[in-house]
Amino acid sequence: MPKRKLDPLPFAAFQILLSLVDEDLHGYAIMRQVQAQTDGRMRLGPGTLYSSIQTLLEAKLIDEVGQREDAKLGPARRRFYRLTAAGRKLIRSEAERLADLLRVARAKKVLRGEYV
Amino acid sequence: MSEKIYGWLLRLYPSEFRERHGEEALQLFRDRARQETGFSRKLRLWLDLFADLVISLPREYVRRQPVLVGATVYRRSDGLPSFFMLAERLPRLEALFSGCVLSVSALIIFSILLGHAGNARYATLPAASGPSHADSTDSSQQLSQPQINAASNPSTTAANLAIVERKRIIDAAVANLRAHYVDPELAQRMGDALIAHEQHGDYDAVPNAPLASLLTLHMRAVSHDLHLVMVYSDSPLPDQPHAPTSEELAHYRSAMQHAHCTLESVVILPHNIGYLKLDSFPELSVCQSSLVSAMDHLNNADAIIFDLRDNRGGAPETVMFLASYLFNHPEFMYNPRENTTAHNWTRSPIPGNKLADKPAYILTSPSTFSAAEHFSFDLQMLKRATLVGETTGGANHSGVWYRLDDHFGMGIPEAQPINPFSRADWAETGVHPDVLVKPADALQTAQKLAWSNIRKR
Repeated sequence: MPKRKLDPLPFAAFQILLSLVDEDLHGYAIMRQVQAQTDGRMRLGPGTLYSSIQTLLEAKLIDEVGQREDAKLGPARRRFYRLTAAGRKLIRSEAERLADLLRVARAKKVLRGEYV
Repeated sequence: MSEKIYGWLLRLYPSEFRERHGEEALQLFRDRARQETGFSRKLRLWLDLFADLVISLPREYVRRQPVLVGATVYRRSDGLPSFFMLAERLPRLEALFSGCVLSVSALIIFSILLGHAGNARYATLPAASGPSHADSTDSSQQLSQPQINAASNPSTTAANLAIVERKRIIDAAVANLRAHYVDPELAQRMGDALIAHEQHGDYDAVPNAPLASLLTLHMRAVSHDLHLVMVYSDSPLPDQPHAPTSEELAHYRSAMQHAHCTLESVVILPHNIGYLKLDSFPELSVCQSSLVSAMDHLNNADAIIFDLRDNRGGAPETVMFLASYLFNHPEFMYNPRENTTAHNWTRSPIPGNKLADKPAYILTSPSTFSAAEHFSFDLQMLKRATLVGETTGGANHSGVWYRLDDHFGMGIPEAQPINPFSRADWAETGVHPDVLVKPADALQTAQKLAWSNIRKR
């Protein structure tokens, strides 16, 4: 089965992978985490979120780690996702790619001020 | 309420997505709806959802396609064939477009045809009922009056048309009987009987095929003439038969030569029994020489078997010609089709013929028809041949064919030949064999009979 291309890694997929770095999360928590990471600029809708999650699952970049409740959100059982080793590696290479991009941008004097 | 709406929207996604993540998506919606309260945040939620729908729906369908294409080549390990529904596959845009164009044009063509056909059939009716014709005394105008009235009440149109049609058939039958039937007095009485039955309502609501049988029955009830027949055919009847053109004769000639004049077999069987299998009585003008050489071949036999089990009929002249070999003097042969003339006597004796006093057998079956029945019936009545097999088909066709319309026709006898025999001919009843055996066993039985006959002589 041909997989959706993850090269280049879509922005939403990268954000989802990033959101899972610290802990296993369910869909809604991923969405909130992504929203927080992007200062509220990115609010993943259910379609985009689960479409991306499915792609990442198929690429074995994330795993499903079973269903359980989230005490903060009520009794409903939710499916939690965890980053795999491959996912972690991909975040690293993607971050490095972005860092390279940033260095070039800085060298070209595109960026100013407080940017790293 | 809003959850229900989102539930409906989720149905737009491919089934696989819904099965895998539908419940999760709905849960996420519930969580957001619970957390994001107030008008502006609710509005933002719905805007997010619609934007999400617009972006992710096409992506999901594009993503489904390769999966389903892969699925079609999947084979079950136990060898049983398995089938997959491709309902989720999004048709190509061009395919959708051409599908739309095709359906619309089919619809347009269909409605044009429907309108056109409807106009053609009823176009004359409104005109005929117009005021300019109201005081017309033309008889054809009166005939169409029931149709005009019927047009105002569609439910009775078909019934009234059927009445008009039936009356036309019966009138035509009566007219043909009076004009052509051999006995004018009987023709008059039969015509009166048919009209009386019609006025009595005996033919009301009788479908076409049973109507033909009923008319036949009523004609025969008066005349006791089994050669009279009314026929209904579902498929259109051919035009009134005409004399064959020279082209058709040439075609018949070459077809007959190709089929060896339907002489299927001409052999001498054990014990010097001559055997001739003939599948029709072909035109003498075309096949006389073939028949002569066949009979010459069998001339020295001690007995002769004519196998007519598959003989569908043919020319009366050929019947007379073949029968001539079985007599040493001119013999009268009854032919129900034609008035008695000099042609009703055989051409016997035929010079050099040695078969005139030899035992003769005829093999018959239910597929023995018409001229073959003529041959069998007369030779049986003259006690010149022994019939072995089953009762023949009973096709007389002695009437002259008259076509009444596309579906009705009738056979009317125009001749009154002399029947010298004590019993009626084979019309409807067939010719009954002297020795009743299954057609498949008829040859063997006839051979035994012939051999015992030869030994006695």
